[in-house]
Amino acid sequence: MAERLTAPIYGVLDYLLTWARKFSIWPVHFVTGCCSPEFMQVSGSRFDMERLGVLPFASVRQCDCLMVVGVISRKMGERVKYLYEQMGEPKFVVSVGACPTGRGPFYDSYATVAIDDLVPVDVYIPGCPPRPEAIIHGLMLLQEKIRRECGFRAGKE
Amino acid sequence: MQARSEEELVEELKREHPELLHDAIVHRSKRVSVIAKRERVLELARILRDQYGFTQPVSAGAVDYIKEGRMQMIYYLMNPETRFMLMLRVDLPRDDPRMPSMTEIWEAMNFHEREAWEMFGINFEGHPNLTHLLLPPDWRGGYPLRKDFRGEGITP
Amino acid sequence: MTEPEIKPEVMRISWGPQHPMSGQTRILIDVDGEVVRRIIADIGFTHRGIEKILENRTFIQGIVPIERMVMADTANIALGYVQAVEEALGIEVPERAKWIRSLICEMGRINSHLYAFGLQVECTGYFPAVFLWTTVDREVLLDLFEKLTGARWSYSFFIPGGVRADLPEGFRDEVRRAVEYLRRRFQDYWDAMVENPLFEMRNRGVGVLSREDAIRLGATGPVLRGSGVDMDVRKDEPYAAYGDLDFKVITEREGDCFARLKVRFHEIEQSLNIMEQIADEIPGGPVRTKVPLFPRSKPGVEALSRVETARGELGVHIFTDGGLKPYRVKINSPTLRNMYVFERLAELNRVLVADLPVILYSIDPWYLDCDR
Repeated sequence: MAERLTAPIYGVLDYLLTWARKFSIWPVHFVTGCCSPEFMQVSGSRFDMERLGVLPFASVRQCDCLMVVGVISRKMGERVKYLYEQMGEPKFVVSVGACPTGRGPFYDSYATVAIDDLVPVDVYIPGCPPRPEAIIHGLMLLQEKIRRECGFRAGKE
Repeated sequence: MQARSEEELVEELKREHPELLHDAIVHRSKRVSVIAKRERVLELARILRDQYGFTQPVSAGAVDYIKEGRMQMIYYLMNPETRFMLMLRVDLPRDDPRMPSMTEIWEAMNFHEREAWEMFGINFEGHPNLTHLLLPPDWRGGYPLRKDFRGEGITP
Repeated sequence: MTEPEIKPEVMRISWGPQHPMSGQTRILIDVDGEVVRRIIADIGFTHRGIEKILENRTFIQGIVPIERMVMADTANIALGYVQAVEEALGIEVPERAKWIRSLICEMGRINSHLYAFGLQVECTGYFPAVFLWTTVDREVLLDLFEKLTGARWSYSFFIPGGVRADLPEGFRDEVRRAVEYLRRRFQDYWDAMVENPLFEMRNRGVGVLSREDAIRLGATGPVLRGSGVDMDVRKDEPYAAYGDLDFKVITEREGDCFARLKVRFHEIEQSLNIMEQIADEIPGGPVRTKVPLFPRSKPGVEALSRVETARGELGVHIFTDGGLKPYRVKINSPTLRNMYVFERLAELNRVLVADLPVILYSIDPWYLDCDR
């Protein structure tokens, strides 16, 4: 009986909570490699990503997404781990480009790592560099993931 | 100093300072190479800077000739008046790669010599700060740009 | 790197890789109140080992990693490598291909300079408005690249022997239209920045580099030309079609951040003139000489190719050993030279902490190019 009353209420609250979360993904200002100009074009006027609520923000403690844009070397890999640990829950990691996904064109180099070895990744966006439409599509996939997984009753809270 | 052509520059170097260098060559218009003797390279560098006007440091790097058992360190220098580029080359034996540092003559070679040290293992005597530049500070592997580097010591 | 010791009267700030305005590097600043006593650049955060990778790629495959050295102006970097390969293998390039190469290189140069002064303005007062204007103008150029090559940034359009494809129908008119549009916008930027007294106050007299210091410390590119030295590889050792084109080398005398900004502005103007000349006067003919897919080199050949990228002089020195892959590729990067100049600026001037981002971006570093 209680279940029949509370289920629709939780449904609406879930919807509102995930709506708020998915339209305010704030990534950390952390561009590491050559995909960075493409990332800046996405925040420019033609492929505006702020209309989806994505605002690159400087302070790690107030962000919820770590967009790793570009190639990760060993020195930078330590900082990726620190930043991931400093963000508050719920947090997401998006790997933009071929390089963080699987080292990209530098697959046989002694100096690059894939971020799979360092932090758990939610969305992979392939491309070298990925087109701005692909980056926005990746963000929309992240939004769907938030809708599925970040409600009151779901696991990730 | 008066304007010289590349051939005249090379001839003058070979004539005036034969004890400091092995050879001097003209590659093409505005490109000259000098192969210096390791023990006298500082004197030759000072003469090149003060008398011949090669005051602008461009870059420095090394090549590992493993089959011949030597490494060659190349300094790229520029003369802002005549716009000639001079490559100052020094041959180092592979089992004892050390040479005097050029930072007392062209201080901007600082970064380039640090990179050559960490990539090839060449010891530059007199360098103010021979520490890692591009590799992580806790790098325990070998010297990456040597031809016998097999990726040892890489920590994930 | 192991950090040098901290003296007791200074405080060391680590301006780190995660910061909106530092770029992909860590800069250690020793401050005494507001005055910066020492700058230590801790680079290497984007080191990918390109020089080692290129020893494991054939000559044509090597274009892909080396292009990714500076994404904003891949044309000039790729041209440096391709010219070195052509010299090492003895390949001739037809005239029309050289003119097309110059056209793409100038478009890349404008792209990169727009990025550079967009960032310089952004860090002068954190007004990203001008930076967003530049993203719009870069879209115009990126559309042209896409029409010609299919990709926006890393197009791998230059190959040993020429360029991949000829200009499509109507491309020259599009280039002329883009030049007209950019000239109008150029006037807006001039009014917003150079004629702006607030901007001038933040940039004039800041980070002064004298002519002798610029030569002695090995500066290159607009940093060198902003201090009065007129060295530009396009005039000293003309390559591609620059021997036939009419343009000026821009220098300014003062050597401060404002002078470097004006150098970049006027270089954009000169690049627009060059693009117009090429669109009007490009010769006909083939665009590519036939080269085998896996060319083999002769042993013991060396080839050094110098090009003028937007940041300065790039050198690519290839050593061959008779195989399908180069034996060693040494890259002389412009940003590595300019980062040394940046470190020494705290000793040559009285630098305040607030001036530091402005000076850094007036030097226009691109860390992927200095770390390779």
